[in-house]
Amino acid sequence: MHEIVSDKSWELLENCPIQNEYDIVKARQIVRQYAKEAGMGIVDQTRITTAVSELFRNMYMYAGGGEVIIEKGLVQERNALIITCIDKGPGIENIDLVMTDGYTSGQGMGYGLPGSKRLVDIFEIYSKLNVGTTVRITKWR
Amino acid sequence: MEANTQIKNAKARIDHIEDVLSSVAAGDLDIRIESDIEDDLTGVEQAINLLIDDLTHELKKSLKMKAEMEEKLQKIQVQQKTILQQQEDLMELSSPVSKVWDNILILPVIGTLDSQRTQIMMENLLQKIVATGCTTAILDITGVPTVDTQVANHLLKTVTAARLLGAECIVSGISPAIAQTIVHLGINLSNILTKATLQDAMIYAMKKNDQLVGGKIKTNFFEQEENQL
Repeated sequence: MHEIVSDKSWELLENCPIQNEYDIVKARQIVRQYAKEAGMGIVDQTRITTAVSELFRNMYMYAGGGEVIIEKGLVQERNALIITCIDKGPGIENIDLVMTDGYTSGQGMGYGLPGSKRLVDIFEIYSKLNVGTTVRITKWR
Repeated sequence: MEANTQIKNAKARIDHIEDVLSSVAAGDLDIRIESDIEDDLTGVEQAINLLIDDLTHELKKSLKMKAEMEEKLQKIQVQQKTILQQQEDLMELSSPVSKVWDNILILPVIGTLDSQRTQIMMENLLQKIVATGCTTAILDITGVPTVDTQVANHLLKTVTAARLLGAECIVSGISPAIAQTIVHLGINLSNILTKATLQDAMIYAMKKNDQLVGGKIKTNFFEQEENQL
């Protein structure tokens, strides 16, 4: 686990706060739009939208909200859409545990984090107890 | 001695300045320092008058701005009220359950499923199942663009609850993209009956209810009902 840093060459597309359920819907619609503009097909659009939906919902449910940064740029020499979710919640004690299929600390199914990892190309997670959690997903065209 | 002679009536004039300043402080902005004598103090008097002018101007400006802001705030409040109203309206509109055929209910789901809406949806469906006694319910999710774990979880719960009431649920309208996404998410929906389209679900339900003969709707089904009347 390493701290997540932005690449200076990436272009910032949008910065949206997640504070309530309506923000989740709004933000994932924005993500879908950018995926479309980036030339992704309907399957990839659906995948990235679903992945971010899981992350946004986690932020809203477990950290009381947070911030989403949508960027585009080159990752491993490929054009990619990079979405970073930052919250100032309680943090995650055991990352390996939350990345296990079927584990949930709440009312969910326990497929949110591991599922969204399978839906994207790069999945990074960094968490510090009582400071917050940052999750970044990258999906290339 | 010379300084004293340059300012005439110094005491009275300074008193006047003090009066004017305290009047201004109390809110009277029309008052100005009046003096017919021209000497060293005149400059000070004029400067104070100019300051009062400026102050009046600024005060008027800020009052105007305040009024504008209040107006805007009111507008926003009205808009917010409208939005809330619409959300409530949408909530009621969003989950109609209708009986499409004998023993078959349909619940078309359109848009986004948040926790509040899913709750209303489930309640509506279960109530209708009990009220009509139907044993087949079709949940059509053609209009749901994103099926994440929460939506899937809700579908599972609804289907399970309906099963407890003796009704079988069929989920229809899963697009190829959503099907792939569900598989990658790792959600197991295999204990739910799913169909690609609403038509498939309808055909399946009618076959199950023995309402089809050779792909056509059984006509004696109507006759039976008429005879009963």
